[in-house]
Amino acid sequence: MEQLKFIGKRLVYLVVMLLGVATLVFILTKLIPGDPTVANLSQRALNDPEIVAAYKARYGLDKPVIVQYFLYIRNLLQFDLGTSIRTNNPVLSELMRCYPATIELALFAIIIAAVLGILFGIVSAIRRNSILDQLVRAISVTGVSIPSFWFALLMLYFFYYKLHIFPGPGRLSNSFSPPATVTGLYVIDSLLEGNPAKALDALSHLILPALVLAMFTMGLITRTTRSNLLDVMSTDYIRTARAKGLGQAKLILRHALGNALIPVLTVIGLGLGNLLGGMVLVETIFNWPGVGQFAYESVMSADYPSIIGVALLIALNYMVINTVVDILYGLIDPRVRCK
Amino acid sequence: MKKKLLAAMLCLAMALATVACGSSDTADTSEPAAEGTTEDTASGDAANSGSSTVVVAMGSGFSTLDPGYVYEKYPPLIMNACYENLFKFYSNDGAPEPCLADTYEFSEDNLTLTVNLKQNVTFASGNPMTSADVAFSINRCKNLQGNPAFICDTIESIETPDDYTVVFHLTQPDSAFLSKLTYSSLAVLDSEVVKANGGTDAEDASSVDTAQDYLNTTSAGSGMYVMTSYIPDQEVVLEKNPNYWGEATNVDKYIIRIQPDSNTQMMTLSTGDIDVAMNMTDDTMAELEGQENVQIVNGATKTVGFVMMNMNEEYGGPVSDPLVQQAIRKALNYTNFQTICGDGSITPYSLIQSGFMGSKGERDANYTNVEEAKALLAEAGYADGFDIDMTVCDLDMEGILLTDLAQLVKSDLAQIGINVNIVSQPWAAGYGDAYRDGTLGFTVMYWATDYNDPNVQIEFLPGKTVGVRAGWSEDMNPELAALYDEAMNATDNDARVAVLEEIQDAMYEDGPFIFVVQAPAHIAYNTRLEGVAISDPYSLDLTLINIAE
Repeated sequence: MEQLKFIGKRLVYLVVMLLGVATLVFILTKLIPGDPTVANLSQRALNDPEIVAAYKARYGLDKPVIVQYFLYIRNLLQFDLGTSIRTNNPVLSELMRCYPATIELALFAIIIAAVLGILFGIVSAIRRNSILDQLVRAISVTGVSIPSFWFALLMLYFFYYKLHIFPGPGRLSNSFSPPATVTGLYVIDSLLEGNPAKALDALSHLILPALVLAMFTMGLITRTTRSNLLDVMSTDYIRTARAKGLGQAKLILRHALGNALIPVLTVIGLGLGNLLGGMVLVETIFNWPGVGQFAYESVMSADYPSIIGVALLIALNYMVINTVVDILYGLIDPRVRCK
Repeated sequence: MKKKLLAAMLCLAMALATVACGSSDTADTSEPAAEGTTEDTASGDAANSGSSTVVVAMGSGFSTLDPGYVYEKYPPLIMNACYENLFKFYSNDGAPEPCLADTYEFSEDNLTLTVNLKQNVTFASGNPMTSADVAFSINRCKNLQGNPAFICDTIESIETPDDYTVVFHLTQPDSAFLSKLTYSSLAVLDSEVVKANGGTDAEDASSVDTAQDYLNTTSAGSGMYVMTSYIPDQEVVLEKNPNYWGEATNVDKYIIRIQPDSNTQMMTLSTGDIDVAMNMTDDTMAELEGQENVQIVNGATKTVGFVMMNMNEEYGGPVSDPLVQQAIRKALNYTNFQTICGDGSITPYSLIQSGFMGSKGERDANYTNVEEAKALLAEAGYADGFDIDMTVCDLDMEGILLTDLAQLVKSDLAQIGINVNIVSQPWAAGYGDAYRDGTLGFTVMYWATDYNDPNVQIEFLPGKTVGVRAGWSEDMNPELAALYDEAMNATDNDARVAVLEEIQDAMYEDGPFIFVVQAPAHIAYNTRLEGVAISDPYSLDLTLINIAE
C-alpha cells in the first residue's frame, strides 16, 4: 500500500513536472530570438509573401502565441507533440526513431562506466596511495577532464583507422541492413530477428562510442566510490569487524561496499540521465543517429515542436531515473527500506 | 543481496569483454563492402554487400525528399538518380540537354515552349510517362508554395494537347527556362502513384496535398534507381529500377550515408567502408595523399562568397559611397580568401561564377593594390579611414564559416585605415530579416545557385532580389538595370553571352557587391569507380558512375 502511494505520488509529480517543462520551454523558445520561417525557407521563398503565408499556415505559426500555447498543451495531453517544422513528421515518431539509438548507446556506456568505475574505485581505496591508486586516479581524472569529441576522434583514429580492431562509425556494417524495428535497439532486434551475426555486429559498433561516453562517467564513479569507501572503512563498525578477524575481501564486499555505493548510485543515475539526453559531438563523429543530433538539427532550424519534445524527453529521463535510483537505494541499504 | 549484485556486475563485465573480442573479428571480416565481401551470403542477410554496391558519404541530411519541396544542397543527388526531368545537365559545364524531352521548340516571341516527349519511357511502377505526368508535377510544385515554387514564376500555364506534347506558356521570355526544367523540384512524377498517396496539383495543393510523407520514403519517378529505404539523418538506400527505360550503369545499389564529420569520412573511405567521400577538407586530403585506391577531385563550386555594402547611406554610412566601395575592392587580398577556402577555390572576375556560360573567368591575380585603395579612400574624403560595423551571421559557405571571411576583410581593410568591428548575429534571429529588408550596412554573405544557370546571378542587379538588399534601386543605375530584361530575353546563346559579359564588365569595379571567392569542392573516391566528378547541379551524378571491370 505504501509503495502504491509512493508510485501514485510520483506519477502525479511527473505529469505536473512535464507540463511545467513544456510551458517553460514553450515560453523560452518564443522569447529567444529566432524565426522558424527565416530558418527554414530559402532566401528566394522569403521574398514571396504567398509562400511565407502558406508556410506559417501549415505549421500554425500565423496564430497568436497564446493560441499556439493552448493548442500545444491540448495536443500534448492527447500525447501529440506536434509536427516537426524541419522534417514535417510527427515529433513523437521522430523521437521514437532517434531515442532507441541513444538508449542503446547510453545503456552500454553506463554499464561499462559502472562496472569499471566501481572496480577501479574499490582497487584504489584498498591500495590507497600505492602506484595502482595513483594510476587509477590518473585515469579517472583524465576521464573527467578529456574533451569527449577529441577522445572520440582519437579512439576512432587508432582503433578503427590504424589498428582495424573495432568497426567504424554507424550502427551496423554495410553488409547488414537495419533489423525490423521492434525495440529500436539493434542488438536486441537482430536477436529477435534470429540473426546473431547481425547482433554481434551491432554490439561491436557500440564499443568505441560507448567507451568514449563511459570515460567521463567512469571517472566520476571511480572517484566517488574511492572516497566513499575510504570514509566507510574508517568507521567504528568496520574497525570492530576487522578486530573480529574478518578478511579484507569479506570486509569490503559484505560490510563496506553497500554503504559506500549509495552516493555512487546517484552518480550513475545522473550519468545515465546525461547520456540519455544525447551527446551531439560524439554522435556526430560516430555517425550515431541519436537524440543529440536530432536536438542539434532542431535548434538550428528553430524547430520549436521538436525542441520542446526533446526537452520533455530529457525531463522524463531524469524523473524516471531518479525514481529507479530511489528504489535501488532501498535494495542496497536496509535503513532506507525501514524508513 | 550485495554479493549477488556484485557477482552479477562482474559477470556482465566478463560477458561484454568476451563479446567485444568476438565481435571485432566479425567486424574485420565484414569490413570493406567496396571489396565485395560476401558476409550477406554467410549470414543469410540479403542486404548491402557485394561489389555492385557503392556507398557514398555526404555531410548533411535534408528535411525532405519530396521533389515538390526539395531545395537543400544534397537532395538533387538522390532526385537525379530516382527521377528524371524534361532536360538534364549531362556534363558539369555543358548546356541542358533533352532527357524525357525528345524535341523542343521556342515560339518566335519566346513566350511559348513546345516539348515533344519520348514515347518509350515508363515509371518504376510500370506506368507509361505522358504529358499529364509532366503537367501534374510542375503544377504541383508551383501550387505547393514550398521553397522551390519560385522556379515556376515565369510559367503562366501548361497545356497538354496530346499524350506526348507539353506546351508551356510563359509570362515573359526566360532564357533560363531550360535550365529551370532540369531542377529537381520539376522532376516528372508518376502522377497516378502520387495521386493515390494524397498528391494533388490543384491550386490549393499547399493545404490539401498529403503526399510528402509518401515521397519522403519512396520515389515515384522514372530514374535509373528507386528509393527503397530512408532513415532520416542516417542513410538512404537506392536500388536499380527494374523498369528503367534507358541504359543503366553497372552499380546495382547505392547506400548514401549521412556522415557530418569530414575526418570520419576520410577514415571510412580509407578502410573501404565507403566508396565516395563528398566533404573532404585540406587536412583530410593531406591524410589521403598517396594512399592506394583513393583518388581525389578538386574544383570550384558555383557557391560564391561576397561582400555587400549598402548603397543607402542611412545603413551603409561611408561604405555607401561608390569611391569607398572601389577602395575596398582594391584593398582586399583575394589570394588570402582562396587560401582560407582551400584548394580549388577561385575568385570570379565579377558576378558570374567561373564555370557558367558567359563567365569572364577569374579576377586578375594582381588586382589588389593597397596604395590605389588609399588614394581612392582619400578622394572620397576618408584619408584617415573610419570605423564601421560589419554584421556577420552564423552560416557557413560549403563548410567555410562566414566569420572567417569577415576576419580576412577586417585585416585587409585595416591596411587602408578602415577599422572593421565584426558584429555576430544569428541568421534566424534577426540577420535574415535585416538582410532581406535591406537594412544591413556592411556584411559578408554567400549565394548558392538555386538552379544551374547564370541567370541566377542577375538577381544582383539594381532593383532585383539581391540588389535591393544592398539598397541598390533601378534608378541608381538604369542602364545596368535594363540589362536584366535583356539577359532574360536572350534565348540565343551568343546574344546571351554578350549581355552577360557586359554586365560583368559593368560590375567589375563598380557596385555594392564584391565577389571574393567561389567555394571549393573536394571529393575523394575509391579508384574501383569510374565517372566520379564534381557536379554543380547534382553534387554528384550517380547515373554516370560505373564500377571498373
